[in-house]
Amino acid sequence: MLKVKSLSAGYQGNDVVHQVDFEVGSGEAVMIIGSNGAGKTTLFRAMCGLLVPSSGQVFFEGTDISGAPAERIARLGLRFVAAERHLFPQMTVHENLLLGANPYRPDPKTMSLILDLFPRLAERRRQHAGTMSGGEQQMLAVGRALMSKPRLLVLDEPSTGLAPLLAQAAYEALGALRKQGLTVLVAEQQVPLAMSFSERGYVLENGYIKLQGTAQELAANPIVRRAYLGVT
Amino acid sequence: MIANILDGIVLGLQFGLLAAGLTLVYGLGGVLNLAYGQMAVISAIVITLALSAGVPVLLAVALGLFVGGLAGLILDLTILRPVYRLRGEPRVLLSLLLTLGVSFIIDGFLNWRYPLETLSLRIPGEAVEILGVPMRRGSLIASAITLVTFAALFGFFRYTSLGRAVRSVIQDQEGARLVGIYPHRMLRLILVLSGVLAGLVAVTRSMVTPVDAQSGLSITVFALIVTVVGGLGNVAGALLAGIILGIVSVIAANLIGTYISLIILLAAAALTILIRPAGLLGVKE
Repeated sequence: MLKVKSLSAGYQGNDVVHQVDFEVGSGEAVMIIGSNGAGKTTLFRAMCGLLVPSSGQVFFEGTDISGAPAERIARLGLRFVAAERHLFPQMTVHENLLLGANPYRPDPKTMSLILDLFPRLAERRRQHAGTMSGGEQQMLAVGRALMSKPRLLVLDEPSTGLAPLLAQAAYEALGALRKQGLTVLVAEQQVPLAMSFSERGYVLENGYIKLQGTAQELAANPIVRRAYLGVT
Repeated sequence: MIANILDGIVLGLQFGLLAAGLTLVYGLGGVLNLAYGQMAVISAIVITLALSAGVPVLLAVALGLFVGGLAGLILDLTILRPVYRLRGEPRVLLSLLLTLGVSFIIDGFLNWRYPLETLSLRIPGEAVEILGVPMRRGSLIASAITLVTFAALFGFFRYTSLGRAVRSVIQDQEGARLVGIYPHRMLRLILVLSGVLAGLVAVTRSMVTPVDAQSGLSITVFALIVTVVGGLGNVAGALLAGIILGIVSVIAANLIGTYISLIILLAAAALTILIRPAGLLGVKE
């Protein structure tokens, strides 16, 4: 479904990620793990059209989307939930969700599925997004992305700014979406959370893919255990 | 006193309408259009020429508004192209310089070709008494048009998906792109809308005072002041600021003198920047 080939990207001519290769198959849940500053956000921004890659290619369902603008990529069905969420703060929860369906008409069935998944959003429907807590904003960001019935959901650090219990709840919600057949790619530095949810993963270090494998393989890898799982 | 306040509201509604087109373009695209007043003047001259050619009033006005919108579209397609490549402060500065240049060119051309054309849409009939104050029909019709326009603007932004898409770009451009909205298309739409609004300003203003080739600068200046006080990109703020400044301006003119009212308006704008940099209804970032 998604194929990234030798992608390099960065800011002002200095590459932060170097020749990254990875793939996400239809129906999979894939994680990209790495510590703060490893280049996860830069990689996702370059992939989703918010940053023009310096070299390499990105294919989404066979279409070359390398360097395409974010708005076009979003319309193809690849929805990105950024760590900063980028909600519309002076609009209500309801309006944010309606906008998520763009460019299509909001589907009431999808809307009620999302409100079932995140009952908090139903309670706060008339509240402005900017006045909600971090956890609620994260739910809204995911809900907004789901309104368009995306083919692939890409999340950058969904646990950012969330208390441990809320972060866990966020991943449980993602797990529920997985069961409905959604393809998900997630970047996460809280590795145990991502491990519990993904089937496969890649380890990004200093902008390079260092390791890859199934979640079990990575969890058993001594380097991963030491660096990311806190096992000595 | 009631007379002052009513006159102030009439003037204030005009101020609000003046600012609406300018504030939207700035809030959405970081473009400060100093040729805004000249867009209004172009519409005014088109209407005047159409009227003298025997075109019926409503058709002439429609033509004027169309040309105003066209002027906005032409700005978007030509002079603003290089502006769109920049971000942040340089973007605002370049837009300001380029549109100032455009305003000089338009002013020069209009003063050379149409120095005597004056748009003055007199509404005949007796004054109407409101709360015991006789009000001119022209003022009342201009105010009614303004109120209907604002109601339409609010309805558009609140209840249509296109209006929501425009607001989303004002609130978080990256967020808008991530839901598949093209910011440039929204900006083009708003530039056309602001041209139409500028044309409407010419129409309503000409019901109260004549609009001619020299009116451009003062329209831009008033629009800027109201935009600053109301908050950038905020249509409701423009309306509120317009009404407050209108009342202040009429009272100042009557108590002290007309010469003082522009100074007071500028002081109000300066004070707003000091106390509430985001404007009356602005939200802190």
